[in-house]
Amino acid sequence: MAEASTESAPSGEIDWEAIERSPEFQELVRSKRSFVLPATIFFLAWYMGFILLAAYAEGFMSDRVYEGLTVGYCLALTQFLMVLVLGLMYLKRAEKVFDPLAEKAIERYAQHSGRYAAEGGHGNGDTQVGSRAATSDREVSR
Amino acid sequence: MIVFAEVNATALVVFGIVLSVTLGITYWASKRASSAVGFYAAGRGITGFQNGLAISGDYLSAASFLGIAGLIYLYGFDGFVYSIGFLVAFLTVMFLLAERMRNSGKYTIADVLAFRLRERPARVAAAIGTLNVAAFYLIAQMVGAGVLIQALVGIDFTPIFVLNRVGFNPIELFNRAEEAGKAKGSTFSLGPGTFLKNNTDMVSLGLALVLGTAGLPHILMRFFTVPDAKAARSSVVYAMFIIGFFYLLTTIIGFGARAILGQEGVEAAGNGGNLAAPDLAEELGGGAGTTGGDLFLAIIAGVAFATILAVVAGLVLSASSAVAHDVWSSIIRKGRDSEKEEVLVAKVAALGIGAVAMLIAILGGEGLNVSFMVGLAFAIAASANFPALLLALTWPRFNTAGAVTGVLFGVVTALGLIVISPIVWGGVPGAPDTGAFTWYDLNNPGIISIPMGFLGCYLGTVLSKERGNERSFHELRVRSETGLGSERALVEH
Repeated sequence: MAEASTESAPSGEIDWEAIERSPEFQELVRSKRSFVLPATIFFLAWYMGFILLAAYAEGFMSDRVYEGLTVGYCLALTQFLMVLVLGLMYLKRAEKVFDPLAEKAIERYAQHSGRYAAEGGHGNGDTQVGSRAATSDREVSR
Repeated sequence: MIVFAEVNATALVVFGIVLSVTLGITYWASKRASSAVGFYAAGRGITGFQNGLAISGDYLSAASFLGIAGLIYLYGFDGFVYSIGFLVAFLTVMFLLAERMRNSGKYTIADVLAFRLRERPARVAAAIGTLNVAAFYLIAQMVGAGVLIQALVGIDFTPIFVLNRVGFNPIELFNRAEEAGKAKGSTFSLGPGTFLKNNTDMVSLGLALVLGTAGLPHILMRFFTVPDAKAARSSVVYAMFIIGFFYLLTTIIGFGARAILGQEGVEAAGNGGNLAAPDLAEELGGGAGTTGGDLFLAIIAGVAFATILAVVAGLVLSASSAVAHDVWSSIIRKGRDSEKEEVLVAKVAALGIGAVAMLIAILGGEGLNVSFMVGLAFAIAASANFPALLLALTWPRFNTAGAVTGVLFGVVTALGLIVISPIVWGGVPGAPDTGAFTWYDLNNPGIISIPMGFLGCYLGTVLSKERGNERSFHELRVRSETGLGSERALVEH
């Protein structure tokens, strides 16, 4: 079958498979997975548990905790809490662990990333500094 | 009961002001985008916080504001289930797609598929998914916009009882809402099961909501507008805060409407309950016919209309870029067209898509709750787009045939099941027995169509002889995890 890569993939300069095999990349993938996988399983379980209770345990969900406040609403509020806590946990973990690992994994190639995007047709590689992750991260989001 | 009585002049003027300001800002902003990357992706210079706001704006549509408030007003708890699903869905987006999308995409979600699959079929598949989702989503927005206009042009508001205002005690709000919910003919309940009466339907909707956001083209496209993965990630967290806060407010609006408007307001709120929020605002401002009431009504309607405009703009952009960029430019013209031509095609497509959505909304949407319709759009997104995107980014073996079959399985199953669903055949949601197809009683197809989407991806992949994209998978994998080689931000000025 035809080679799948499109416009943006003249892979001559970067040895993707070498990066993928490197211990740094493996470490990145491993540490990401060790957070994302359990977190995803947890939130899906907690959420679908809520939905299943709402669907099949109407009585329980309508039980009163305090006056008009039902079990259902209390559990619903834990969903809000879960989203915010997991969101912030991921943000922190990514900043402290994933980003430095990702930077390390592509260190050798960092100077390529500017030129590389320019081949996409509209990047302006010359004006960019090589260590993308290092520079632009700082200015974003605070 | 809509009577086009005297036009509500105060309300119309204020509504007009809110709307002109919105359009003015939009026009000003549009002048700043000159290139293709500027047009589609805002030069990739949006910060995490700005993008969080933009995601919230694209997401908090008529469905969230009017629909959920209406559902909570009419049914209580079951309306709240929608908010939970809409919110938790952002964890799916964050953990599985946001950063990877940013690192591997360019303008449309098709770029991510085309990266390692054969370009033309991959783009067609992505365009099919995008257009179907956008169509359903758009219809919901059009219905929302339609009822708002009706509210302003003059509705016979049945006498609304001025009830005691609720203090700042949420428990008191629950109590009063419950008290008011005991009225004859009321479907309101603090417990589940009044709107989503069919247990399986509730689970089906729950699945569609939590996975659907990760397949919404207009939300995923927003990740192409930020400079890097870090901003993509932080924008999701900002969006979670904004959207979570918003849904708490919507709940208060829904309960407030129940406590204050009572059962008597049901008729004025329309069949789908879509007008509960504006009705409540009018009542709180002093009631129908008073200046305060007109003012409150106009502001809330103006704001709701502006959110609808934001969502419509996002949807039309995603749909028309799918047509212009993925189908016309990449496939029909094979890249030989000019940028001018592509933009022209995009405009024509936008016009056509808008017209079709309006037509369907006018023909069939009037009595439907907009959140319910958005739930269907989410089901299509979760069945058609989400499986293909996720597997393209994570499964080495995945190939073009898999993507095409997956999208087709997802779209065809979801659409087919919607067509035979009870609600299309005259039933109301939650009353499953009224359909023409009595053996099928789900109003949301998610629980069947989402597994079908994944199954299609799997079968298409293992049954085809296509090989050779594992090498580009290594590239995509490294790129999506590290950002190496990803599209760069334009440095403007």
